[in-house]
Amino acid sequence: MSDQDKVSIRKLPTGVPGLDEIMGGGLPEFSFNIIAGGPGCGKTTLAHQIVFANATPERPALYFTVLGEPAIKMLRYQQQYQFFDEAKLLNSIRFVNLSQVVLEKDLNAVLDEIVKEVEAANPAIVVVDSFRTVIRKTLASTGEWELQSFIQRLALHLASWQATTFLIGEYVPEEMANNPVFTVADGLFWLYQTVERNSVVRKLEVIKLRGQGTVPGLHTFRITDAGLQAFSRTLGLSGKRKVPAERCLSTGIPELDKMLSGGIPEGDSILVAGPSGTGKSILATQFMAEGIRRGERGIIAGFEERSQKYLVRAGNFGVDFGAAQKEGRLSMLSLRPLDLSVEETMQELVDAVNKIGAKRLVLDSLSGFEMALSPGFRQDFRESLYRLISALTGIGVTILSTVEVEDSFTAMPFSAYAVSFLSDDLIRLRYVSIKGELRKVLVIIKMRGGEHSKEIREYEITFAGLKIGKRLEEYQGLTTGVPVPYPESPEIRELPQEQANKKQG
Amino acid sequence: MMMNAATPRMRTFARWLIAREAAAGYPPEEKAQAAFRACEKLRQHLSTFAGVAGFRSLLSRALILAKAEVPWLSAVEVKADGSLAELGSLDTQHDMDEAEKGVVILLAQLLGLLVTFIGEALTLRLVQDVWPDAPSDVMDSGKEKKQ
Repeated sequence: MSDQDKVSIRKLPTGVPGLDEIMGGGLPEFSFNIIAGGPGCGKTTLAHQIVFANATPERPALYFTVLGEPAIKMLRYQQQYQFFDEAKLLNSIRFVNLSQVVLEKDLNAVLDEIVKEVEAANPAIVVVDSFRTVIRKTLASTGEWELQSFIQRLALHLASWQATTFLIGEYVPEEMANNPVFTVADGLFWLYQTVERNSVVRKLEVIKLRGQGTVPGLHTFRITDAGLQAFSRTLGLSGKRKVPAERCLSTGIPELDKMLSGGIPEGDSILVAGPSGTGKSILATQFMAEGIRRGERGIIAGFEERSQKYLVRAGNFGVDFGAAQKEGRLSMLSLRPLDLSVEETMQELVDAVNKIGAKRLVLDSLSGFEMALSPGFRQDFRESLYRLISALTGIGVTILSTVEVEDSFTAMPFSAYAVSFLSDDLIRLRYVSIKGELRKVLVIIKMRGGEHSKEIREYEITFAGLKIGKRLEEYQGLTTGVPVPYPESPEIRELPQEQANKKQG
Repeated sequence: MMMNAATPRMRTFARWLIAREAAAGYPPEEKAQAAFRACEKLRQHLSTFAGVAGFRSLLSRALILAKAEVPWLSAVEVKADGSLAELGSLDTQHDMDEAEKGVVILLAQLLGLLVTFIGEALTLRLVQDVWPDAPSDVMDSGKEKKQ
């Protein structure tokens, strides 16, 4: 069958930011859906958002309440959300309480009542909240066959009347196998809420949605004054492929640019790893300041330092971050709460990138980013970070991330994270002990795109930023942090043999 | 201390509803009949939305609160379906002023409870579903707070 011959299924908006993308574009019109999950996970709020997003005077929404939350209390609470539009209540949304019918009569009477209201209102959206109570009552008094027949007739009637239907219920995943309602449903949306240590983690899953390519897996969501907001695992950037870099971006440190064979290839992810005090944030600020100086927009996501510190530091480099912020050329995000989900943090970054058209992004630091997350999300951190970096570099953003590593004096670890996944390029900063001084060296470990300097260069942190000095060619074992002079170095040549041997270990 | 839900504005609104019903065919001296009819109309509309039990509990609460101010309302009862028993005969048992006071307070308490739970805007919309010409300015938000 050609595409032209296929029926086109209209997709309705969910009214939930991020959820349409997860559902593969929206809710299929005339579908019969289940919204399932435990108490307090946001089922009713989700249904209300769908209702308010779609109800019109011509095609209103019918909201049947059954033995669950009393309608008056439901309205009391739901009107607190920003999506609640009281104007729609008068002519676009009709609440009908079915409790009496469910309590006193049988399933046929329930169906008759629903049919009567649907035929009278001609609704676009029908919600039964909670359908679980209908089923409980039914199973207590009649058999499973009757229930199956009821669901079949209900689904058939509502589809025939061109209504998109949502049955809400407090189900547990184990019920999925034996419950006929899950078989009949076109869409099954499951909301989860768990407490991990001191944080609440909310996730949703589109278990099935007939006829549509959904984004599989669990997606985090948040409930705020605005209602639900979902964060797709793909951050809305799936399918973007990285294009080869056409130019290099200056780091703002000329010597470092030379070591990088011209700078950081545009669209690369570069990791700056080093222990505390080695100037990672300074290097990051120089990278951003250089971008602003060249008219490239950027974002600094700071997880450890306050925006003010970057502002002051950039001022020392002769760049006014405050003015850049006011002009919309720079955005500084201070992300410090301890209950962030990876996806919502990443969504915030993606939104900020899209909003100002950022070409440079600083993540300072990955260690702080991980710490800012709710404990339950930390285990997903590496995978989520990989998705973020792939997604953003895919649209041409150059990302400089810093990461704190503890210096070992026997080896040189690059980072606690899987470096090859996270970065195209890697700069390592470290302390070395020379002549009773703790000095700093810098080395480029890798550049995926091509050639780079192999030199281990000493550097200093000055008022004007990192100042890269000469190669420490007289020493061996610099990567261990406790180098010793080479035999031919002047330092050793001028010493008596015994002392020279001792000095070389 | 819990605020009296039958605020002056709710009482004004209740008077308007009763007058509106009286104008629909009841003589001015039969205020209780008009109030009974107003309650019936509200019951039919709100029972669909809140359920019979939901409306019944609201009206029962309103009656209890109204009795504190008008003791003779003890003779009135809320039936299982949420309708009022005995209210219609009060016109013959009490003088016009007393009867009016009682039914106004009862209706005002009911409206006040709705406002407490769902706010003035939604209460007005529910009332306007039944009486589309119900004046919005009676419920004008914040007016009472400023007084």
